Amino acid sequence: MSNHAEILGFDVATLAEKIRTKQLSPIEITNAYLERIDALDQKILAYITVTADNARGAARRAEDEIMGGNWRGPFHGVPIALKDLCNTRAVLTTGGSKILGDFVPNFDCTVWARLREAGAILLGKLNLHEFASGATNTNPHWGTCRNPYNLERIPGGSSGGSGAAIAAKMAAATIGTDTGGSIRIPAAFCGCVGMKQTWGRVSRYGVMPLADSLDHAGPITRTVRDAAMMLQVIAGHDPHDSTSSNEPVPDYVQGLNGDLKGVRVGIIKELLTGLSDEVAHAFNVALRQLRILGADVDEVSIPHIEMSSTIATNIMFAEAAEYHEQWMRTRAHEYGQDVRRMLEAGMMTPAIYYVRAQRSRAAILAETLKALDNFTVLTAPTAAIPAPCIDVGGRALSDGGEPVDMVAAVLRFTAPFNVTGQPALALPTGLSPNGLPVSMQIIGKPFDETTVFQVADAYERARGPLAEPNL
Amino acid sequence: MAKFNAETVKLLGRELFDYEFSDEAAASVAHIIGAMANYSRRLHGIGLVGMQPPFAYPTLRAEADRIRRIF
Repeated sequence: MSNHAEILGFDVATLAEKIRTKQLSPIEITNAYLERIDALDQKILAYITVTADNARGAARRAEDEIMGGNWRGPFHGVPIALKDLCNTRAVLTTGGSKILGDFVPNFDCTVWARLREAGAILLGKLNLHEFASGATNTNPHWGTCRNPYNLERIPGGSSGGSGAAIAAKMAAATIGTDTGGSIRIPAAFCGCVGMKQTWGRVSRYGVMPLADSLDHAGPITRTVRDAAMMLQVIAGHDPHDSTSSNEPVPDYVQGLNGDLKGVRVGIIKELLTGLSDEVAHAFNVALRQLRILGADVDEVSIPHIEMSSTIATNIMFAEAAEYHEQWMRTRAHEYGQDVRRMLEAGMMTPAIYYVRAQRSRAAILAETLKALDNFTVLTAPTAAIPAPCIDVGGRALSDGGEPVDMVAAVLRFTAPFNVTGQPALALPTGLSPNGLPVSMQIIGKPFDETTVFQVADAYERARGPLAEPNL
Repeated sequence: MAKFNAETVKLLGRELFDYEFSDEAAASVAHIIGAMANYSRRLHGIGLVGMQPPFAYPTLRAEADRIRRIF
């Protein structure tokens, strides 16, 4: 028997071991999380739906199975939560919208089906920027999710609830989605680990699209190890998603706990400009740490990487407008102002620009692969700034009260790897002087998530624990 | 794109989608598409001649097979 604070302090790897060895019961753990949500979520708004009764029932079944000697694996009995873009059978799935405000699917997305089969317990569905169409998680329909490190700040988006729930210990692990950075941005602003794996590595079946050719669903967790464990469960071909890859899924966890001797880390030169002092300082300290761990760290150029935000937004606008066309014709007034504006721009995006943006992707990927000829992984900050302040209408504000250009502040750093489809993991490099998390990305070769995890894990262990938010 | 102004946006919205843009939305979208046009021309400058779009036949076949199983 442990007290709730102690239980909530365990990462998934620790919980899994304690559940497997019957030191902790899934019922105890689930109750600890549900009480935490009950106590905190009215001020954070990370959840749109809490499935408390279902979670307690699932916890009882997990406990019976485990006590009967049928432990399914590391997620058995572990309480998690899903971005409310993920369809879940018989559970409200809103996409963070008014349009789907009472939508209850009759099927599970593959990501949840696999986690459920692995024995995970669903605590609920998490807040997001409406239809994943923005980076602030300012949501006019379900309330603006807040950053646990500072409630006046955005958690980032679009998977803001997924990041906030991890930072506030309201879930042991969460699923987010990432089209231009929506896993990595909330991970950066909320001090979590966010993994956007290779496009096609994880099935998108049953996850509402923003832009199919850029969308990914992936883990947001407390540690790199937890992200590796979660990806292990959800990765692999799915007959329901013809774009999911047949590449074999390696053991992501086995290679952790190593050092960085012989590893070459390339700093993307073009992404070193425009950084705030606190992000630049923490990034430099992290690079120094990588060198201490044995890595060879040097700058590398990806000449046209700065075109990626344009390529990504062009594709995003066009593909999103195609998906939303019918609702735009009939229910446009039910969208938030910023999302409606994006879809309106998508309706007017010429097909020529869209196809050209798609063709450009190979050029950007070729440049990053060339950079990776000489480096094991690449690195860059995840965002130029720590979490900005909350504003209305989908925007964010600087400390001085000016609107923040989220393309320059975040998309510029994250969208390139949606364009190239490479794995990119965001992990904290520390806290800024005013107590806000800052973050860097580790970027790998396509389908080489294993190396990304290894490098990130080595850095994370050397960095030590991140200070928790004061809630 | 000199002619792509708010009036054009409104006209296209009406004709193509039966959709009424507000004055403000039409002006904003005209600005966004104008900027996109500039960027798109710059993209051409990175040397796209002969470069294929990522629309692969194996994906097309796999999707057709998947749909055939459903129906």
